[in-house]
Amino acid sequence: MTIIRRSPEAPHCPPLDRDRELIHVDCASHTYPDGSVGIHDMCFHVLKNEIVAICGPNGSGKSTLIEHLNGLLLPAKGSIWVNGRIITGGAQGGLWKEVGVVFQRSDDQLFAPTVLDDVMFGPLNLGLEPDEARARAMEALRAVGAADLVDKIPNYLSGGQKRLISIAGILAMKPMVIAMDEPTSDLDPVHVAIIENIIVGLKEKHGISVVIATHDMDLAARIADRVCLVRNGAVFAEGLPEEVFYDPALIAEAGLHLPAPVQAYLDLCQTSGIAPAARPLKTEDLVAVLGAIISGRHTGS
Amino acid sequence: MSSASLSPHIPDLDLITYYAERKDSLFTRVSPWTKACLLVCIVVLVTVIRDPAWLLGLYIIVLLLYLTAGLPAGKLVQWYAIPILFVVSLAGLMIWSVPGTPLYAWTAGSFTLALSDNGLLLLLTLLIKAIITVTFSLFFLMTTRYAHFAGLISRVFPAPLDQIFLLAYRFLFLTLAMTASLLKSVRSRGGGLARSLRTQGRVFAGVSALVFIRSFERGERVDKAMTSRGFTGKYPLSGDVPRPGFPEYGLLVVSGAVVLAVVLASPFLGW
Repeated sequence: MTIIRRSPEAPHCPPLDRDRELIHVDCASHTYPDGSVGIHDMCFHVLKNEIVAICGPNGSGKSTLIEHLNGLLLPAKGSIWVNGRIITGGAQGGLWKEVGVVFQRSDDQLFAPTVLDDVMFGPLNLGLEPDEARARAMEALRAVGAADLVDKIPNYLSGGQKRLISIAGILAMKPMVIAMDEPTSDLDPVHVAIIENIIVGLKEKHGISVVIATHDMDLAARIADRVCLVRNGAVFAEGLPEEVFYDPALIAEAGLHLPAPVQAYLDLCQTSGIAPAARPLKTEDLVAVLGAIISGRHTGS
Repeated sequence: MSSASLSPHIPDLDLITYYAERKDSLFTRVSPWTKACLLVCIVVLVTVIRDPAWLLGLYIIVLLLYLTAGLPAGKLVQWYAIPILFVVSLAGLMIWSVPGTPLYAWTAGSFTLALSDNGLLLLLTLLIKAIITVTFSLFFLMTTRYAHFAGLISRVFPAPLDQIFLLAYRFLFLTLAMTASLLKSVRSRGGGLARSLRTQGRVFAGVSALVFIRSFERGERVDKAMTSRGFTGKYPLSGDVPRPGFPEYGLLVVSGAVVLAVVLASPFLGW
């Protein structure tokens, strides 16, 4: 895949991959009552078994897009297709069963008196019997490594623990897509790593596609299979992380910074006069590339 | 954020939830129906009884229940501040006009205010009535799981009143958390509740109004998060409310008989 640049004048965006497409947002627009534009001619796709990162600065439309994926908002213009079904006014019912949303602020999501009650809320809304809902909740809590928090009061949990419970609350509903709004914001590095592992596990162990809206480029570089750059309420470019993040002009156009390993590698190449042949995205990739460079110099090659 | 940080005198809803959900005692295993019926009995008794000695006896029974359930006594004393303030603010003026043996009189020209023994007795009676009800209500809330409480409410009240009641209860958590957050912000910059009210009344009034607006906004976000998980206006119940056991039926019959006897005897006791 090469970088696809979207023209704002294009009336439609064709499916990316018909066989694998779960969600297709086709030139959707949404304007808030005060006139501010949430998304404008937004084209976006989610494929089976992928992690797609929506990257953009604050106010670029990431959160509005996430709410459209779950049916919380409906596009005033354009359309949204989920699993081949068009989502229009009145027909959004049931979309929440297919696409779960983990909100940016866990405090907004956790409202029940105990962790178990909160995680059971979605399964009970699915119509499951309490015993089955409880089993689902426990399974989800175990999957995120938070089974020991089952009887805790959400308000007494740390930010990282709250985020785990929020994810469990969605995972318990077994959706085909989970959309996460800034999943690692306000978390310490240990919890960021835990959340990253969970996101990767959702895809690899549970076969769930994950959408992450983030301006954390390091996170996107580490875990995304595809990166969509958002600006002014629309995806203006998308592609593989190694392509998108190695196009500094594109990243600057999006109003973002390069991921730290990419920036470090490009700086090193520039100062050392080395052609940036490799494309490390993670710190460990960068270390491997640097190791190869250093050992190459030592051996004189 | 816990509402405990707001003031030690405002009941900490998170602590109440903690006791309800996590603590195990004889009373957490008692059916919520039994406790709700006992609450009704208490309210009837408190309404009918006027003798402070009888009320004191009832208070001791309720307090023993509270303490036997392993609930925090120190907190209870602190939480009495609001009902006491409430009663004093209401009855504080009334007691000056109750006839009886004057204990203190204040005269200004031809106008005289007299505090009588009956006036003081009225205040004492109302105070005991208030703390009996508060103690048993807290006992009920702190020994009943929310799921059971929600089930009970949804069976007692018709829709949508039950949903309004339950969501209003949860909304109270949000409002208190927002207020605590506001006060923390005020204190972090050298302000204080009383001092800010005195020196920056207008600003403080505006900020207080913001608490409600922010709580409402947060309520909207919570609603959005609930809707995203399939909430359509009916709170799903995660289980049945446990029914009273045979001994509990016995307790209810005895309690009902006592209440009936007190109600029937009240005219003869001068109440």
